[in-house]
Amino acid sequence: MRGQTIGAILAALVVLGGCSRCNDPGPCEGCPGEPTPYVLEVPPFFPPMDIPADNPLTVEGVALGRLLFWDVDLSVDRTLSCGSCHLPEHGFTDPNPYSFGVNGAVGTRNAMPLVNLGWAPSYFWDGRALTLEEQILEPVPHPDEMALPWPEAVARLAADPDYPDRFAHAFGDRTVTVERVAQAIAQFLRTMVSAESKFDRWRRGEATLTDSEFRGYQMFLREGGDPETTPGGQFGGDCFHCHTEAGLQFTDYLFRNNGLDPSFEADPGRAAVTGWALDSGKFKVPTLRNVALTGPYMHDGRFATLEAVIEHYNTGGVPSSTIDPFMKYQSGGLTLSAGQKADLLAFLHTLTDTAFVHRPEFSDPH
Amino acid sequence: MRISLLLLCGCVLLAFAGCVDPVRPYPSDLPGTVRLDLELRWNGAELALGDTAVDHLGHPVVLTNVQYYLNGLELRDASGTWHAVGDIHLVDFNREHPTAVEAVPAGTYTAMRFGVGIPKALNTDIDPASYPNDHPLSVLGSAGMFWTWSTGYIFLKYEGKAAVAEGSPIEEPISYHLGTDLSYRVITLPFAGPMQVDSREVTPVTVAFDGARMLSGPAGSIDVLTDPVSHNAPGTELPDRLLALLEDAFYLP
Repeated sequence: MRGQTIGAILAALVVLGGCSRCNDPGPCEGCPGEPTPYVLEVPPFFPPMDIPADNPLTVEGVALGRLLFWDVDLSVDRTLSCGSCHLPEHGFTDPNPYSFGVNGAVGTRNAMPLVNLGWAPSYFWDGRALTLEEQILEPVPHPDEMALPWPEAVARLAADPDYPDRFAHAFGDRTVTVERVAQAIAQFLRTMVSAESKFDRWRRGEATLTDSEFRGYQMFLREGGDPETTPGGQFGGDCFHCHTEAGLQFTDYLFRNNGLDPSFEADPGRAAVTGWALDSGKFKVPTLRNVALTGPYMHDGRFATLEAVIEHYNTGGVPSSTIDPFMKYQSGGLTLSAGQKADLLAFLHTLTDTAFVHRPEFSDPH
Repeated sequence: MRISLLLLCGCVLLAFAGCVDPVRPYPSDLPGTVRLDLELRWNGAELALGDTAVDHLGHPVVLTNVQYYLNGLELRDASGTWHAVGDIHLVDFNREHPTAVEAVPAGTYTAMRFGVGIPKALNTDIDPASYPNDHPLSVLGSAGMFWTWSTGYIFLKYEGKAAVAEGSPIEEPISYHLGTDLSYRVITLPFAGPMQVDSREVTPVTVAFDGARMLSGPAGSIDVLTDPVSHNAPGTELPDRLLALLEDAFYLP
């Protein structure tokens, strides 16, 4: 009788729960259990990070993503991993203007630094990927990068003695798919949070800026130009408009033309994505976090040093149809003195997070 | 055994019964919706960013970026009472057909008003990072529209380029950014006739922002070549001139 009652209750529960189980693929044999949630701590003054509901961070997923990120098996000739062009000591970017792919292929844009990517609303210099998962799909099969078609990449991972179990721990079963590879790497990248620069610590009241660094910070926040020639000018660096301090990411995530070229035949930038002429020559405003480590600079790596970057803004840039109105191309540039430029440079160095680039959990585990 | 079967049947019936909506009368007090269709115009004609226009002084002008915060829509009923119905919206003409949608009590209205900018209580004292990312005042939602902690949000951006004369290169910068608490303005626009908002119906209202009227209107005029930049710098009078023009730049076409 007792067994019958339990049976009836179980049957009733099955009925009541039917609506939520109807898409269940069935029993999962050998499932290792639910993955362990990864608790990501959002640093002070940072905005919330929007993590896709279908790809929550898990300890197993992040660990798998790290392995995949550093795995040369994801390139056709087994010579390059994602990390080959995103080197920790260079702020997780490439010290070359253009990265070298397999077989000597050369890219067309400078590799972007990997830092605080979980807060970005788009990826690549032209913003053509709207999620990290989407972004990750591109470099592996790209002929100038890792040149490994995804079906082959999946086959390699599925044949590996270790990976299928790791996929099972991260995603519930041993199936290796392109989507899961992208999800795991995206999870790993979202954990790459930098918030331990000297500026961060100063902002939290844990460090002191030198006089030069503080003067540089004030210049960063002031309008640019000589007020005699530039209306509203405050002899500042005029950096804050685009590399906004709000949220401490030092970018507004918008696309701008900062006056590098008079025309855009070589690279249309954002316009290649939107098809809009007003976006010609515009590129994503990069974060300034770790900027002292991430040279060369600009989408094409044309400036080898930060000094050269500052000098570019100091002279105002080249006019064009889409140049940003913040550029002082008609009024002689920022006209900063040598001392002011040195102060600005000192401030930019306070954005270096040495602990971040040396964190063992981001390093090559192979 | 019988009890178990009865229990099972009861549970099954309960489960299926939960899926059936009871018949309810149509509620007459549900709100309607007002959709503000926000347009960029130039001397009354629709304008897209990137189009070339000519200003009151004959200068070719290309607007490349126009954005403003529209805050706190209110509607006035026939008795003269104002009804607050709106939230904060960032109107961005880089996007196609920007709109602001608000739930509005069904009724008849004679006028609308809204603020351009961010009210003082929200402008400088709240960290943008504290908002969810899809909020118009968040770091992402306000991208490009936030100055610093002390000065708050940019209320209105009016950016573009101008030429000295027709045929000259259009590359003289125009960059007007209005902001700070004292720059908050309330725009009042009477409807041409009573506007009926019906329950559960969408009532569209077109609100135009005229770029030409920002440069010339009853309150004065501005030469974009001699006054090309205003970022609300202290001690300058250009922001006041722009704010005076702003109040006439909005209208209901």
